Amino acid sequence: MTKQHPAWSPYDNNGGTCVAIAGADYCVIAADTRMSTGYSILTRDYSKICKLADKCVMASSGFQADVKALQKLLAARHLIYQHQHNKQMSCPGMAQLLSNTLYYKRFFPYYSFNVLGGLDNEGKGCVYTYDAVGSYERVGYSSQGSGSTLIMPFLDNQLKSPSPLLLPAQDAVTPLSEAEAVDLVKTCFASATERDIYTANKLEIVVLNKGGIHREYMELRKD
Amino acid sequence: MEIDEHIGCAMSGLIADARTLVEHARVETQNHRFSYGEPMTVESTTQALCDLALRFGEGDEESMSRPFGVSLLIAGSDENGPSLYYTDPSGTFWQCNAKAIGSGSEGADSSLQEQYNKDLTLQEAETIALSILKQVMEEKVTPNNVDIARVAPTYHLYTPSEVEAVINRL
Repeated sequence: MTKQHPAWSPYDNNGGTCVAIAGADYCVIAADTRMSTGYSILTRDYSKICKLADKCVMASSGFQADVKALQKLLAARHLIYQHQHNKQMSCPGMAQLLSNTLYYKRFFPYYSFNVLGGLDNEGKGCVYTYDAVGSYERVGYSSQGSGSTLIMPFLDNQLKSPSPLLLPAQDAVTPLSEAEAVDLVKTCFASATERDIYTANKLEIVVLNKGGIHREYMELRKD
Repeated sequence: MEIDEHIGCAMSGLIADARTLVEHARVETQNHRFSYGEPMTVESTTQALCDLALRFGEGDEESMSRPFGVSLLIAGSDENGPSLYYTDPSGTFWQCNAKAIGSGSEGADSSLQEQYNKDLTLQEAETIALSILKQVMEEKVTPNNVDIARVAPTYHLYTPSEVEAVINRL
C-alpha cells in the first residue's frame, strides 16, 4: 500500500533569504523583502528582520506565519526577562532562548530558518545560525532560506569561516570592516536574486554597532 | 551552602526549611542557565527565593500552611561585582555590605558597623568575620565547629585546615 499523502499541510514556504555577518565590533543582518507562495508573489515589501533586544536582531525565512508567532513569543519572553532581571537580554542569552523555544516544538516545529545577529557581552559581533528545531552554533557569518545554497559557498570563499573542529580554537569573527561587510552582503544578494526566484525586490540591511542600530535598503531585480 | 558556582548562602532558623529554599534557588539558577546560557544575577536569585517565601511554597499540594522559618544571607558575584543580600520569612530582602543573623546577631551587627569598611581585603574580612563570631560564640572557635565559605568570584567552602589557618591569625 503506497503512503497516503495528506490533502492539506499546515505549512507553506514563503521563500526569501537571510544573511548575517559578524565583525570585530559590528554585526550586519540582511534579508530580502519578497514574500511568495508557490509560484506567486504575495507582497514585494515584507520585512523578515525583527529586533528582539537592544543588541540582538533576528532574520528568519520559511513560513512567515510561524516566524511571526516566534517573534511575538520571543518579544514577550524578553519583556518578562526585563521585568524580572532589570536589564536587556544579551545576544548569547537570546540565542539560547531561541534554541529552547524551537526545540519545545520538536514534534510540530516552527517552519522557520533563523539567523540571529548582534553584539555579545564584550561588544564583539556575533552571529548564531539555527535549523528549524533549534540546533544552533555561533559562527562568523551565515545565510538561511531559499537563496542560501547560492550565497553560503560564496561567503565561505570570501570569509573562510574557521571550522569549530580546528585547534587551536579560532575567533568566530570576520576581519572585514563594516563598510566592506555591507558591500559583501549587497553583492551576495545581487547574485542570489539572479538565479533564485524567491529572492528579489528589495534588500533590507540592518547594522548593529556600539552607536546603535542603523537600517538601509537596496533595490534588487524585481522579476 | 552552594546555590550555584557564583552564589552561596548562609542560614539561620529552621534549617530544614532552609534546605527547601536552597533547593528551589538551585533549580531556579540552573533553569536560568538552561534558558539563557548565562549565570543568574544575585539579586534575581534572591528575588526568586523571596517569591517562594511569600507563597509559603509552590503549587497547590506542596505549599505549606506556615511561613518558612528561616533568614538567609545570599552572597554572590555577578556582572555588578560581589554583593550580599539578607532575607527574612516575610519575603523581604535587603542589600547589605555586612550583616549578621542568628542568636548573637545584635552584638555582631554592631561590631560589624564599627569594623567594616569597603576597602577590606579578603584576608582582613576573614579575620574580622571570625573574630566577631568568636565574641558571640559560647564555645571556643575550632576548625570543627565553624564553617567559612567565600565567593571570590566562585564559591568555595573552606577545608578544616584552611579554617585553622584563619583561626591562627586571630
